[in-house]
Amino acid sequence: MRSVVLPLTLLVVWEAWGTASGNRRTPTPTRVIGAAIDLVMSGDMIEAIATSLARVFAGFAIAALIAIPLGLAMGAFRSIERNVDPLVESFRPIAAIAILPLAILWLGTGTPAAILIVAYAAFFPIVIHTIAGAKLVDPTLLRVAATMGLGRLNTVRTVIVPGALPSIGVGLRIGMGVAWTAIVAAELAVGAKAGGGGSGGIGQMMFVFYAYSIELNRIVACMIAVGLVALALDRALRAALRYAMPWNAQ
Amino acid sequence: MAATPVARRLPDVIAYFRTMAVFVAGWWALSRWTSNPALLPSPFAVVDAIVELVADGEIFMHAGISLGRMLISLGIAALLAIPLGLAMGLRRTLDDVVDPVVELLRPISGIAWIPLALFLFGIGNVLPVFIMTYAAFFPILLGTIAGVRSVDRRFIDVARTMGVARRTIVTRVVVPAALPALLVAVRLGVASSWTAVVAAELIGAPSGVGYAVEWYRELLMTPQVMAFIATIGVLGYLSDRVLRTLAQRFTPWATKLEGVR
Repeated sequence: MRSVVLPLTLLVVWEAWGTASGNRRTPTPTRVIGAAIDLVMSGDMIEAIATSLARVFAGFAIAALIAIPLGLAMGAFRSIERNVDPLVESFRPIAAIAILPLAILWLGTGTPAAILIVAYAAFFPIVIHTIAGAKLVDPTLLRVAATMGLGRLNTVRTVIVPGALPSIGVGLRIGMGVAWTAIVAAELAVGAKAGGGGSGGIGQMMFVFYAYSIELNRIVACMIAVGLVALALDRALRAALRYAMPWNAQ
Repeated sequence: MAATPVARRLPDVIAYFRTMAVFVAGWWALSRWTSNPALLPSPFAVVDAIVELVADGEIFMHAGISLGRMLISLGIAALLAIPLGLAMGLRRTLDDVVDPVVELLRPISGIAWIPLALFLFGIGNVLPVFIMTYAAFFPILLGTIAGVRSVDRRFIDVARTMGVARRTIVTRVVVPAALPALLVAVRLGVASSWTAVVAAELIGAPSGVGYAVEWYRELLMTPQVMAFIATIGVLGYLSDRVLRTLAQRFTPWATKLEGVR
C-alpha cells in the first residue's frame, strides 16, 4: 500500500504539470503511454529492441566464451595469471564507450562495431568474477584432490569449475547489465556521430526522435523500454542461473 | 600488499614487463603489416601523440574539464544520496515509500537519459554533470542503505540503553560503522559516473576527454584517438586508486571487510 503512494503522487504531479504547461509536446504520463502504444503497434519499438537484443546476445556470448575459459585458467594457474593479468588490468579501466570511436574506425557504424563494444564491456566483469571464483574454491577440496592424486587438469574440471560456478554466475549477471547499457550508449553515439546513417536499435531510435523530430513523449517511452528490458534481462538471467545451479539458491 | 618483500613480487614485475613488451611488439608488427596509420598507428606514433598533447597542455585541459565535471557530479550525488540513504536505512517507513521510485528509475541507465537531457540542457556543461550525477546517485544510495543495515544492532541498542539521543546515535554510531560500506559505494559511484561521462561528452559536450576522442576520430588522427583513450583509462584507474587510498586512510579497520572490488 505504502509502496504505491510516492510513485502515484509523482505521476499525478507530472501529469498536472505537463497539462498546465500548455505545450502539447511536453511529456506527461498519458501522452507517454500513448506514444508507447503507437511505437509498439507500428512495430518500430519491437524491431528496435530486437535489433539491440540480438547485438547484446552476440557480444555477450563472445565475451563469455573468451572470459570464462581465460578466467578459469588465470584463477587455476598462477603462471597464466601472472602473464595475462597486466593486460586485463591495463584495459579494464577503459570504458567500453571510449573505444567506440576506434570500433567505428575499424568496423564502420553497423552491427559489428556494436557487437565489439558489447563484448568488450561484458568481458571484464565476467573474467574478473571467474578468476575470483576459481581462487575462492575451498582449499580443503583442492588438498583432497591433490591427496587422491588427481592431475592439475582433472582438478580444474572436477573441483575448480563447479566451485567457481556461482561466482561466474554473478559475473554473467553484471556483464549482462553492463552489456545492455553499453549497447544503448553505442547506438546513441553511432546515431549522433554517423550523421543518422541507419544502423537501428533502441539507442539510435531515441536519438532520431531527439535529432529529427523532437518527440519527447517517444523519447521517454524509449527510456522506459530501456529500463524494462534491463530488468527483464536481469530477471531472466537470475532465473536461468537458479535453474542451472539449484544448490546456490541464496 | 605493500608489506610483501620485493623478492617475492619480482616474478610478477618481470612478467608484467614481459607481457607489456610482447603486447607492444605484437601491436607494432600488426601496424607494420596493415601499414595504414589511420587504421592502426604504430605504438611509437601514439607515444609521439601523447608527448605532443602533453607538451601543448591539451591533454591536461580536457582531463581537467572531465575530472572537474566528475567532482561536481560526485559532490551533488553524494550530498543527495548519503543523507537519503542514511534516512532510508534507519527508517523502514521512508524506505517503503521511496524505494519503489528508486527501483523504477534505477534500471534506466544514465546513458538512456542523454537524448532527453540534450533537449533539456543542450550541449554544454550541464548535460555531462546531470548524466554523471544520475549515474553516481544509485550506487551511492544503495551502498549507503546497505551499509546502515549492516551496522551491528547491538551498538545501537547499547547507545540507546545509555540514553544517547537519536541524532547522536546516527552521527556517532551509525555513520562510523557504515563508513567502510559508504566509501565502497562512493567508489562504485565514481566508476559508474566515469563510464557515463565518456558517453555524455562524446555526444553532448564541447570539451572533455570523451569529446576529444570523437573529435580526433573525425579528423582521422588515430594516434590522438588512442592517446585520449589511454587518458580515459589512466584517469579511471587513478581515481579508483585515490579513493582506495582515502578509504584505507580513513577506515583502516575496514580493509579486510571490503568484499567489492
